[in-house]
Amino acid sequence: MNTFNLKMFLTSNLDIDEKDILSIVDNCTIKRVKKNEFLLQKNEHCKHTFFVEKGLLRQYSIDEKGKEHILSFAPENWFVTDRESAYFNRPSAYYIQALEESQVAMIDENFIQLLAKKIPSFTDFNNKLLHNHILHLQNRINLLLSAAAEDRYLQFVKMYPDILLRVPQTMIASYLGITPESLSRVRKELAHKNFKE
Amino acid sequence: MKTKTVELVASPKAPHFVGDGFRVHNFIPSGFRLDMQRMNPFIMLDYNSSYHFPPSHKPKGVGVHPHRGFETVTIAYKGKVAHHDSSGGGGVIEEGDVQWMTAASGVLHKEYHEEEWSKTGGDFQMVQLWVNLPKKDKMSAPKYQAIKNEAINRFLLENNAGQIEVIAGEYKGIKGAASTFTPLHMLNAKLNKGGKATFHFPANYNTVLLIVEGSILINGNEKAPTDHLALMATDGENFEIEAIDDAIVLVLSGEPIDEPIAAHGPFVMNTKEELMEAFNDFNNGKFGYLED
Repeated sequence: MNTFNLKMFLTSNLDIDEKDILSIVDNCTIKRVKKNEFLLQKNEHCKHTFFVEKGLLRQYSIDEKGKEHILSFAPENWFVTDRESAYFNRPSAYYIQALEESQVAMIDENFIQLLAKKIPSFTDFNNKLLHNHILHLQNRINLLLSAAAEDRYLQFVKMYPDILLRVPQTMIASYLGITPESLSRVRKELAHKNFKE
Repeated sequence: MKTKTVELVASPKAPHFVGDGFRVHNFIPSGFRLDMQRMNPFIMLDYNSSYHFPPSHKPKGVGVHPHRGFETVTIAYKGKVAHHDSSGGGGVIEEGDVQWMTAASGVLHKEYHEEEWSKTGGDFQMVQLWVNLPKKDKMSAPKYQAIKNEAINRFLLENNAGQIEVIAGEYKGIKGAASTFTPLHMLNAKLNKGGKATFHFPANYNTVLLIVEGSILINGNEKAPTDHLALMATDGENFEIEAIDDAIVLVLSGEPIDEPIAAHGPFVMNTKEELMEAFNDFNNGKFGYLED
């Protein structure tokens, strides 16, 4: 499995001094979590943004009937957090859990605010990340409201090319908002169209 | 002719489960001396050392998954495995059998403990090996070689030392049952206590010995115990093994494939672009469909 690290990510995406990058990295805690371990649970206050250096996380909620709904997967090089809890300081409605043995860089929310004040180019960078996040959410809402299961699936594999091989089908169905049977049908139909003996 | 010396005797790492039916020690790829490039064409070796599975009505195993760019070889020492694939093929690998699946351009398959065997449970011991394909054959059509134990030719060693089963390649004029894309030898040396066997492979061939049962002495001085893997150096052609007690040794020796390797999960290609194409093709159903 590939390993990324926060420093590499920042160096290639952020135009600031090496020493500023190091100060960001030094202020992050690297945490190793086992499969199924939680980084955030419902009603807790989320204090961090998690950057996945290795492994795979998911953010999800559980409804009143006990059914899970996956909002996002975060494989290597992805950020995940509950912005509602972290920024607005509210108890979280979500769980963030490791689906594989993972290594994450935990970026303190207060530190992000501090950095944004101190380094203007970091503000730009953080803005870009946030807008990317909004773009992604907007797209996801639109697909859930308007797109057929097959289109949702195709968008999903485009964004997460290797997740299909890393998580059970039931989780992918949960992310797509369809039943596992529908997901099976979509994949069967695609194979029928695209498989050449 | 020089002696091929022992470079390293690796102990089995902590086991992990592949699905819920294979409890394996991974030997290849690992570390800097057993990585894919060094061991090419033997790019992955998972060893399920003898392990007792209790009876289970639901057969344990690994669900549907794809492969592209190489061959998978399953060698059954104890237990039975049933397998199915997206082209409609399937079968049962029994004790002593070898299944050689050329995934090449791509297959989906699943492997489970055979249903009846699963109901009674028992000792289970297998090797799963990935054999790399040269660039020109990576996208060739998938195929199977189901090799029953009785179809494997044997060389009987002198002085009741034991026998060599020739799965692929050659041993002293006896040809292997499996066809291969690049030159390689795959042998099961079944030696009686005190029995000796000599081997002769080109110096540059990547060579390992997996001690499946018993323990052996290599070149009269290096001991390799049960469930260990001896990596042979590329410094000579000849070596000898001697069984300290009754032993079974899987001997692998192959000509290195001198091409770049790009590997991720179940795909082993030459470039990153080909890997991305493999993921795309898999996601878009180009490997076919197989019910879980």
